[in-house]
Amino acid sequence: MSGLTRYIARRVAFALLLVIIVSSAALVLARLAPGDFAASSVGLEARPETIEQTRARLGLNKSIGAQYRDWLASAIRLDFGRSLQYDRPVTELIPERAANTAILSVTALLLATVVGVPLGTIAGSRGRGILPDAIRAVSLVLLSMPPLLTSLFLVFVAARTGWFPIAGMRSAAPVDGGATLDLLHHLVVPSLAIGLPLAAMLERLQAQAVSETIGQPFIVAAIARGVPRSRVLWRDAFKASLRSVAAVYGLVIGTLLSGSFAVEIITAWPGLGSLMLDALRARDVFLVAGCAGTGAVFLGIGTLASDLALAALDPRAREA
Amino acid sequence: MTLDVEPWLAESWSADADGRRFTIKLRQGVTFSDGHPFTADDVVFTFRAAYDERTASALHDSMLVAGKPLDVAAVDPHTLTLTFPSAFAPGVRILDNLPIFPKHKLEPMLQAGTLAKAWGLSTPPAEIVGLGPFVLKEYAPGQRIVLDRNPRYWRKAADGGALPYLDRLTLEVIRDQNAELLRLTSGQIDFTYTEVPPESYASVKRAAADGIVRLFDLGVSMDPDSFWFNLKPGAFDGDPRAAWLQKDELRRAISMAVDRRRFSDTVFFGAGEPVYLPVTPANKKWYPSDLAPIAHDPAGAKALLASIGLTDRNGDGTLEDAHGQPVRFTLITQAGRPRLERGAAVVKDELAKIGIAMDVATLDPAAVIDAFFVKKKYEAVYFHAAFSDTDPATTPDFWFSSGGQHFWNMSQPKPATDWEKQIDELMARQIATPDERERKRLFAEVLRVFSAHQPVIYFAAPRVYVAVASRVTNVTPAVYVTPVLWDPDTIAIRH
Repeated sequence: MSGLTRYIARRVAFALLLVIIVSSAALVLARLAPGDFAASSVGLEARPETIEQTRARLGLNKSIGAQYRDWLASAIRLDFGRSLQYDRPVTELIPERAANTAILSVTALLLATVVGVPLGTIAGSRGRGILPDAIRAVSLVLLSMPPLLTSLFLVFVAARTGWFPIAGMRSAAPVDGGATLDLLHHLVVPSLAIGLPLAAMLERLQAQAVSETIGQPFIVAAIARGVPRSRVLWRDAFKASLRSVAAVYGLVIGTLLSGSFAVEIITAWPGLGSLMLDALRARDVFLVAGCAGTGAVFLGIGTLASDLALAALDPRAREA
Repeated sequence: MTLDVEPWLAESWSADADGRRFTIKLRQGVTFSDGHPFTADDVVFTFRAAYDERTASALHDSMLVAGKPLDVAAVDPHTLTLTFPSAFAPGVRILDNLPIFPKHKLEPMLQAGTLAKAWGLSTPPAEIVGLGPFVLKEYAPGQRIVLDRNPRYWRKAADGGALPYLDRLTLEVIRDQNAELLRLTSGQIDFTYTEVPPESYASVKRAAADGIVRLFDLGVSMDPDSFWFNLKPGAFDGDPRAAWLQKDELRRAISMAVDRRRFSDTVFFGAGEPVYLPVTPANKKWYPSDLAPIAHDPAGAKALLASIGLTDRNGDGTLEDAHGQPVRFTLITQAGRPRLERGAAVVKDELAKIGIAMDVATLDPAAVIDAFFVKKKYEAVYFHAAFSDTDPATTPDFWFSSGGQHFWNMSQPKPATDWEKQIDELMARQIATPDERERKRLFAEVLRVFSAHQPVIYFAAPRVYVAVASRVTNVTPAVYVTPVLWDPDTIAIRH
């Protein structure tokens, strides 16, 4: 087995272990939290007998240990139980929500990359001046604003101007231009809310990397040989400094795909984050475990991708 | 909205002399949404389903009178008899909360004992049939419910035209109430499911002034938020505070210590009314007109507390009990309902002024319900528990000491206190008496006893504001759980 294959195998095994630990912990913690789904779903008019019958029907009368054992036994066969509040298999609910989160995350990431990396290159290549200073200032403001505030601000702007939908993923009634245009229209506010702070982060990373690269002998030599400065910057320095952005990319993807609670709630985006929050509030134990497990899968894939990229670039990382 | 019972699927009814047996005539020519005729058999089947233990239906409990089921029999396809186990003054009002099940669809499941799972959230919408104005078209879990017009709906408009007017009704699930109102005030949705929360009055009023929405002021709400202590005997065994935590004087002192006007102004931003009882002035029929308000009297409250040995013994501004322990307790309330959190903060502040330290624990709804409803382990709770009907006889579980909604001490085998015994007796007569004036007199008496002992303390109720988009017409908002959708038949959209 080659070093790289061994490395990948080790990382995949670790990611699997992470998924099992995270979803098990989520299930047990959701069960341990005070209150259960039965009592809050039947209403306060119900008699204690009715609550007990509901609890028995949903399997909530079992001990935590027995419930966990049953769940684990089915989970091995890829059956992650039924959502209590939606009365559907967890495996049926999660893919749609995960896909919605993926649409939002990928859009936000594209936006962040397209805006953040070139601006970072500009800011990093020039010491001081109006443009780099302005870029730096805007980035610092965006970085210090949590996505919650960004989304509230954007929702406010959208409400005031009426340019974009404030919430949801699709219009209630069919709209002119078709479903794709409607989706893109709905994506503006949530993807900006996630994408702008992310763009600021990528800009800062790229700016720092570029400013370090630009002082390196091979760049200085290229400029001394008379290669135009802009070509050196956008071809050589740009490429050489991308490594730091690439290193965080995997982690960012993983975190984004696990669902952004704040933005999904504020903008009513039907993604994984809002599904998990609902599940937690309703004590929908299997759905909580499923969402947490899916988040861990995404995080595992993200970190694996990022580690692989680094390992391909730098053989020393494989030994780490 | 009059809150009186109107003929609907039951066209007319009559009671026999002792008021226990009703003969009901059903409307003819009504069909379910799949075209199957609606008959008396469906009503009998619905009662059977509600009473079947294996169904574990929440309807089961609301369809009992004095803990016993009703006897329902079909006389012919459009006539049925309903016999109450004991005299029940509200009579056919009990049917108000009962959705009628289609026997032709659900009988096999009832016989197999699987009715509880028959129509779940994963059932294909086309299989679900009903008698209402809309049928289920699509359900996206946690996202939206799409309802289409039921072309077979029986009700007709005054001009003989078909109802409902709307072809489609889409209910979007929006978790955040601010996001919901922003969508309303920017014209992206037509109405909200519940009333406008107090913190959003100002922005919705602006939208109304700009002509984006129409705002309805429906007057004071039916449901004030409730504050109560755990009065279950023995709940505080081994706790030195047991000597005073369950005393009448403590609750009466709290009721006197809180300035209800200030409470209302702070919690409901000025748009509220002081309230002293579980019924508010919105319940015109049952609100006692001669009610004496509980005056804001901090000095009187302190004197009451001193009478049970709670005084400031060390001069630190906080009261101490006979053992020198500070008078301190924990109130649990629900997270995510700003008016409950604000209300708890005002009460905490008012109690601090008379030397009582109250800690507030804000929990998830599931955890609050678990504490007071399931485990019954708590000191005090502040919660929104709404009544499903305005006639007190339809909420016996709240009034009777044996009731499951007698929250402060639920399901008592026999009344724990003399005043609860007195309320039990008065309510038993109130429910059985057919004479309306006597029923009112008896209920006023119940409220007098209730007010004297304050098992639940009420401070204020909000005014109810409902907003709909300007293009929505023919809407009749009401002080009800679903202020707009309670009557969806006639709602129309102006194009």
